[in-house]
Amino acid sequence: MLIFENIRLALSSIRANKMRSFLTMLGMIIGISSVIAIVSLGDTMRSVVANEYKNVGLGLAYMYINPPDDTYGDNTYFTTADAEKLKEAMGDDLAYVGFNQSLRKDMTVGRRTKTLYVTGLAENPTAMKNLKIIYGRMLSDKDFQEKRHHIVLQKETAEGFFGDANAVGKTVKVKLNEDQEEFLVVGVYENQDSALMKALQGGSMEFAYIPESLLVSEDSYNWSLYFVAADANQLDALKSRVTGYIARMKNLDQQYIIMSSASEEMGMIDSMLGSLSAVVGAIAAISLVVGGIGIMNIMLVSVTERTREIGIRKALGARTKDILTQFLIEAAMISAAGGLIGTFLGISVVALGGMLFGITTVVKLQVIVIAVAFSAMVGLGFGLYPARKAAKADPVIALRYE
Amino acid sequence: MGQSGSGKSTLMNILGCMDRQFSGTYELDGISIAQQSENQLSAIRNQKIGFVFQAFQLIPRTSALKNVEIPMIYAGMKADARKVKAAALLEKVGLGQRIHHMPNELSGGQKQRVAIARALANDPAIILADEPTGNLDTKASYEIMEFFTNLNKEGATVIVVTHEEEIAAYTDRIIRFQDGQIVSDKKVVKGSC
Repeated sequence: MLIFENIRLALSSIRANKMRSFLTMLGMIIGISSVIAIVSLGDTMRSVVANEYKNVGLGLAYMYINPPDDTYGDNTYFTTADAEKLKEAMGDDLAYVGFNQSLRKDMTVGRRTKTLYVTGLAENPTAMKNLKIIYGRMLSDKDFQEKRHHIVLQKETAEGFFGDANAVGKTVKVKLNEDQEEFLVVGVYENQDSALMKALQGGSMEFAYIPESLLVSEDSYNWSLYFVAADANQLDALKSRVTGYIARMKNLDQQYIIMSSASEEMGMIDSMLGSLSAVVGAIAAISLVVGGIGIMNIMLVSVTERTREIGIRKALGARTKDILTQFLIEAAMISAAGGLIGTFLGISVVALGGMLFGITTVVKLQVIVIAVAFSAMVGLGFGLYPARKAAKADPVIALRYE
Repeated sequence: MGQSGSGKSTLMNILGCMDRQFSGTYELDGISIAQQSENQLSAIRNQKIGFVFQAFQLIPRTSALKNVEIPMIYAGMKADARKVKAAALLEKVGLGQRIHHMPNELSGGQKQRVAIARALANDPAIILADEPTGNLDTKASYEIMEFFTNLNKEGATVIVVTHEEEIAAYTDRIIRFQDGQIVSDKKVVKGSC
């Protein structure tokens, strides 16, 4: 029998039981939309992370010393002198060396005090933190070398204290140690983190930047040391050179110098997010199976209800194959329709979430294709049993069915 | 003809190629029915036999026209040709004005006429009518039987199962059943009653 005729039959049967068909579809709709939404959410997170690391710079690496038998001593920490030596030894290949210290400090203007994060930046600060300066300037090498009390504020901080984003030339007091020290605002920057990243960092954290020489004293021992390669592609080579140099300097075996880089971290987070969304997506896919069972259930009811119709069709010359395709197409259409509506819904949810958080969402075509193909397969798979039951009906008995 | 339980319907099912579970042999056009596959039987029913049932057995929520088209669909006929022929058949049974009516919008006699039009769809050699007048009033019953008589004159073999003498009186040959046995088989001389 013609496929077209079967589609017409399926449509009229679906139309005859609108509510029932819709409820059956609902299983598929929920299943497909949640799979698409969850997998797309994972993909979106991965792209957000990738963007974030693009901002940080993929040339960034850091190291710490994990001494044998946990015997920590003078040679297992880093000092500012170490940083200077490393910088000289590596020359132009090293764009930045610093301790990347970020401390919670109180900032005061007049009577108002606010706690925020104060981060130290060393020479060539833009290599470490590429801030979008909207007023004034970035910290300079001279600021670092001469320990000038200069500060770069976040736009929100400036607005909070001065009612105006342009706070260049104003002074703020920061309680670095015991006493409040006065700082001259030389620049204001705009935070370019995505809304999602801000949410991940714990809401409205504000950062201010000062020369690292003011934050990290010469006699302090530091747990880790950060550096940025001038050329991100040469980071691996630089890492091994730095490892060798530090090992000799600290008189330690190279294996105790532990290196990590932004790209490694990103890879780790990326694969973690990837497997997380795969697992959650797989759980959501279970609902597709539940939806499929719903289709099977309703098709069984439909077959029973239409036993007489099946008997009539068989008496009039329908072959087993004709009845089988009729019911199979009906099941496939219910699940495909559910799949399409679910796809639309899933994409809408992702797009809405993206708008809410102000991030560009990623919906991969292959996810949609796989989800819809899977839903059609579920429909065919779970429709098969009821359809076979219908097709095998004995016309004599079926005609007598009341 | 015969009382209920006498075996008429069983014979109908065998003659209609719906039941292969019988002892003995049944040959239709030289084909041994017991040895055919289910799909072959479907094709035989489709091409050689037209069914008319006591309960009409029209497919619900499906127009008279679509009902008549069904055997032609399974015969693989093109949609346009199907529609033309189905409309012509409905015209022939006197329902030319009601081709788009649904079964529940038709009277019993009209339903049975749709069923007859459907039985004629693939020009079968045999019309099998199982108590065709069982659910009809006397007037409609006579109309249906008149129609069968005309079909018979046009060359079709019409087999009618009934327990009513008046209905049986329309036929040329009466086979009587009792408890699963044929008790008589008489040719009727027309015009005697």
